[in-house]
Parts: sequence; C-alpha cells; structure tokens
Amino acid sequence: MKLYEHEALGAIFKKYKIPVPRYIFATEMNEAVSQFVEKEPGVVVKSMVLVGKRGKAGAVKVVSDKAKVAEVVKDLATRDVYGEKSIGALVEEKLDIEKEFYLSVTYSTKDRAPAIIFSEHGGMDVEEIDPKLIHTHVIADVRSVYPYQIRQFLTNIGFSDKDLLRPLSEVIVNVYNAFVGAECRLLEINPLVVARSGDKRKIVAADAVVILDDDASVNPAIAYGARSAQGRPMTQREQDAILIDQGDHRGKAGSYVELEGDIAMMTFGGGGSTVTAETAIEAGLRIANLTDIGGNPPAEKMYRISRIILSKPGLKGVLVCGGTASNTRIDVTLGEGLAKALDDMNAEGKLDKNLVWVVRRSGPEYVKGLKMLHECFERNGIRGEIYDSQLPITEAPIRLKELLIKHTGYKPEQVV
Amino acid sequence: MKGTVYLNDKTGVVVIGATGREASQVIKESEALYPGIVKAGITPGKGGSTELPVPVFDTLAEAVKDPKVGKLLNTALIYVPPVSVLDAVMECLDNGIKVLYIITEHVPIRDSEIIFQEKERRGAIIVGGTSLGCFVPSVGRIGAIGGKDPSVAFKDGGIVVISKSGGLTVTTAEMFKRRGWGTYMALAIGGDIISNTTYSDVLKQIKGDPKVKAVVMLGEPGGAYEEQVADLITSGGFDKPVAAFISGRFQERMPEGVAFGHAGAIVERGMGKATDKISRLEAAGKKHPVKVAFYYHDLVKAIESLGVPRDFEDSTAEHVKPLYSTIQR
Repeated sequence: MKLYEHEALGAIFKKYKIPVPRYIFATEMNEAVSQFVEKEPGVVVKSMVLVGKRGKAGAVKVVSDKAKVAEVVKDLATRDVYGEKSIGALVEEKLDIEKEFYLSVTYSTKDRAPAIIFSEHGGMDVEEIDPKLIHTHVIADVRSVYPYQIRQFLTNIGFSDKDLLRPLSEVIVNVYNAFVGAECRLLEINPLVVARSGDKRKIVAADAVVILDDDASVNPAIAYGARSAQGRPMTQREQDAILIDQGDHRGKAGSYVELEGDIAMMTFGGGGSTVTAETAIEAGLRIANLTDIGGNPPAEKMYRISRIILSKPGLKGVLVCGGTASNTRIDVTLGEGLAKALDDMNAEGKLDKNLVWVVRRSGPEYVKGLKMLHECFERNGIRGEIYDSQLPITEAPIRLKELLIKHTGYKPEQVV
Repeated sequence: MKGTVYLNDKTGVVVIGATGREASQVIKESEALYPGIVKAGITPGKGGSTELPVPVFDTLAEAVKDPKVGKLLNTALIYVPPVSVLDAVMECLDNGIKVLYIITEHVPIRDSEIIFQEKERRGAIIVGGTSLGCFVPSVGRIGAIGGKDPSVAFKDGGIVVISKSGGLTVTTAEMFKRRGWGTYMALAIGGDIISNTTYSDVLKQIKGDPKVKAVVMLGEPGGAYEEQVADLITSGGFDKPVAAFISGRFQERMPEGVAFGHAGAIVERGMGKATDKISRLEAAGKKHPVKVAFYYHDLVKAIESLGVPRDFEDSTAEHVKPLYSTIQR
C-alpha cells in the first residue's frame, strides 16, 4: 500500500532520523499554514496524491511571493492530478539546493535480497537517468548493515564528493533501517538533496515515496486506512466488497476491482482468476471487474460478492470460472451462495434475464454443485452453459464470447 | 530413490501447526490416500493428542528424539499463521530438517527475506511461502494439492509442472492428463516476492533425472524468476523441452501498482512485465526446445509441437459439450 508523502514523513522518516525539510500538511489554507509561511523565505507546495510525476503535472510549485501562497495552496490541495483528486497540500521550506541524488531501497528478486539503489544524478524520473549512472548495493546479509559498507560501495562507484561520505552513508543506513523497520516494499527518495545552510551543507530528503508490504506484521490498511491502488477513490461496490472478509477468516471473497466493461467476472484463485481475465480480454470481452475468490469461503460470503458483482449497471454477460479446486467446495460456493443470490435477486426484480452466462468449474463436490446451479438457472429463467473441467479453463471466455455474439449481437473489442 | 528431492520414497513429513483446521484436514486426507508419508505433527500445548492419525508433539525437538518416528523425519510442512512462519522455519532448521514447505500465505516480506538468507547458509530446500505442496504420482503427495480425489488430475507420466499458482498446478496437470500426458511431479512454488524455490532452482535439481520428459511452467508478472529460466536454458543449464505460459499481459494496460493475484505479481517501475518475460523465453526458444503459449490452453499444443511423446491415449472429445445448457448454441 502506497503512503501519501506527508504520511511517510510523519510516521516513518521522523522515527528513523531521515532528515526532511520543515513542513506542514493542510487540507485547506488556514492560520497554521500562514504562520508557517511567515517564517520561511520561500516555500514549496505539493499536491498530496498517490500518483507519481507530480512535477510534470504542475502539482509541485515553488512560491517566493507570500501573497500568492494562499491561492497556490487552495489550488494544489484540491486539484486533480492525472485524474486523482488531491487530499491536501504539503507546504515545505524551500531548500537552497546544491545537488540532487537518487536513492531507493527495494527487494531485488534477481538477488532475492534487499537492494540499495543510488545515483549521483537524481532529480529527474529514474527512467530518464542513464542506467550506467545508477548503482546497486545488494544487502547479502540482513543481520548486519553498517555505514562503512555503504562508504565502500560509494567509493567503489567513484562517488565524487568525499566530504559527504560519512554523513551520506549514515543517512543511507537510516533509510535502509526505515525500509526494514517499517516493512516497506519500496522506499524511494528522489531527490535526496545536498542543501546549503549558511556555510554548512546538509543532506535532506526532498521527496518520499513509500510502498508498504500489504502482508506486513501490522496491516497497513488498518494503520493508514484502506485505499485503492488505482489512484482513485474506491467505488461503493469496492468498499462493500472489502467488508465481506472483515472479521471472518474463512476463505476470501472480498477482492473486487471495478473496471469499465460489461462482462461480470466471478473468478476463483489467484492464478485462475488472472488467466481467465486475461483470456477474456484477449478474446475481446470488456470485463467489468476483477475478483479473486478462494480458500473455501462460506456460502454467505459467496452470496454477498455475487450480489455486488451482479449489481453493476450495463452488464451483458457473466463468466463464472475457476480451475479444479483442491479445497473450495463447489456445492457451497456455487450451489448455495451464488444460487441463493440469484433466487433473491429474481424475487426482488433485480435479476437481468438478458444476461448470458458461462460457468466452468471443478473441485470438491462439483457434480452436486453444478447440478444445483443448473436447477437455479432453470427456475429463474437464466440463459447459459455450465461446464466442468473437461473444458480447458481458458476456453470458457471464448465460449461466452461466441454465445454473446449469437444472442445479443455483442461486438468484441479488436485486440491488437 | 523413487521421486525427486522434493518428494520421494524416503520422505518423512512432520506438520508444523498440525492441529489447525486446514492442516488436520490435509493430514487426514493425505494419510487416507497415501498412508505413511506424514509421520508426526507439532502443535505447542497439544503434545500427546490423539485427534490425528499421527502422533502429536509440543516441540519439534521432542519429535526428532522420539524412538519411533524421530529418525524418519526429514521434511516439514508448515501451516502456522503468517507472523509465526519465521519461528517455525527456524525451529525446523535448528532441528535438522532439510526440506521445508511453507503453505502459509501472506508471510511478511521482511520475514521471507530472513528465511531465504538463513536457508542459503544452512543448505536447506524451502518451497514457498504460498506453496500448495508437491505431487509425485508414483510416490504420493505433500500438502492439499489435488484435494480429496487427486486421480482426477494426476496420473503417472513424464511432465513436470512448476507453477506459482497452486490452483493452476492442479488445473494444468488435469488438462494434460485429459490429452494423454501424465505428471512426473507437480510443484506449486508459490507467488511470493522472495521465493525460496524458483523455477530455475527446480530445473537445476531435475535436469539429470531420466524420468523427466518435459517441463510445463506457469509464470506471472513481477520479479525476475521467469527471466532466470531463459538465462539458464540459454547458457546450457537445462536442455529438455519447456512449454511456458506467462499470465498477466492484460495488467500492462492498467495503472502501475494495481494489485491482483499474488503478492509477487505487482509490476513496479516497469520491471517484471509479462511481455518482457515472454520475449525472453521466446528468444531462448530460437536455439533451444522452449515454446511459449499465447493462450493458457495452448500449452497442450506447445508440448505437442515440442515432440513430447504421450504417456497414454488422448481422452478428449473433439468438441467439449456443456454439462448443462439453458441456451441455444
């Protein structure tokens, strides 16, 4: 889960002694911001959004004329940045920047170890830095990380500013300790600046990108509040879906990402859901959501996610698709949970009979479960086909496409 | 030795967290299907319990000293909650267990990293986290893989299935069984970011095994483990036919960082894209027997085109008919 910059500064950088500019966060222009600005010769104002490349979108502004601060704060605290609404503004002291470095810590799967990534040529997007100027230090032993190792790394890569060797190596170790201690997947500072302060120089983190491990020992969604990774507020259906798994660890049915399409996806298992969604897209179907149900959820959970998935307006078809489950009961999930959702929706007049369905599923009690679902289709007048594992899993979306074209005149996307 | 280093006729399993809901069900099911592979279970505070078909101990130290089962224990199956996995792994390594399966999902990455580095120092084999286990039809199984009736998916043959996804491991074995190829081994390596056993690790272990006719690998976006296979094959480190399917191309049309499927599947900073993995494997296929399937179900055609002989007859009808239909085709 990604943190907003002000969250990273307040919760993590401070604790691990990573030097940052003086700052204040505000959702609107207020007295505290005015007092802060009064003491600074100049400030930098940034929109608080999760999306990157804010500078290029005009969402980071240097303000030297104090009369203009209120206007800029008001604008940046509420504007849309690449379609994401800002939740407030970060107002920081304007640093007297001498040079800019790039620094990040992340896990390198190539080495299966944490890696410190450093460049003397920061300040621009990391993709734009010449790869030859980016250097990596792999942490081969997580039990012992010391500044001297960082100094060896820096001298090996020909770091040019010898006076900074000690302070920079100490800051980098603090950043590494923050990465490990706060259980991050990524901690990125771009730029890490060398700023003049009187006749002295100091190292300051002028940006903070923190992505926490969703599986961290303290769940970040609890610590910081759940948020969509898509850089947009969660839809009502997404919020409703999250509630399904809360306080009930039996199986998982609450993952739901809403998309713009017209084919409802009721898919099972991480790998199975991914290949099914992918094949649907490759076949030209416009999928309406992603979901990933698994771990043998009880009928009640399946009932709730089914109703959420089917409540999206404008649907044309439904794909219920999973592999051969080892654990998830097919009679419970499809025969009871899904079937009851369809019965209830029909009774409430909320079931769209024009939908075309394809079901493909196998696993424990599938013979019983698929029969129960077929009976449900019969009594509710639902049109579709039900397959077991004789049909390869990824042929199911293709069968659905064929039925949609024949019965509804569906026009698939032309996929390049 | 019959089987592989991951599961063979000498394998003796101790289950850590044995009396939990999932673990106890798996022990009972596995012992009914393949008696004698699971030898003991560990649950602190439940030592001496008779609720399982195997003896239960409070600590692994007691189990390895037990005169009946102690000497037979060489493989651990870990079913404890995510925050206890590191502890369980250390208990196993310190008590001399050399092959471990971590079934638990959502192990904190920080703990996974400590586990990986410790395993490297000790020279142990760890599969997972998020493994579903291992199936070797000629020997038996470890974990829940294949469920109550594994014969639906598994029949002895020459294909090795390696997959990050547990569910797809079984689904793939079944797809091939229907078309005439049996499984020599199916291993669910898990989709965690720090994977203790990667595709390449497995290929290096099985490369000299004459029973292996071909490998089917199922990859996902994120990380570099699929790319490592291309490198291994290109450098001559594995020369048997490999059919690969990499899922997740569609994620490239979505905003970066959209989490879907496994933890390791999040594409960050343009690294680990499915299309890059596919092109790396396809490049390896120019000089080596490697074929990448465009659709998942094309894996069968890929194995066919690589000239891998069938283990038994193709049992699939020309055109699969639905079990039930309420619509006109």
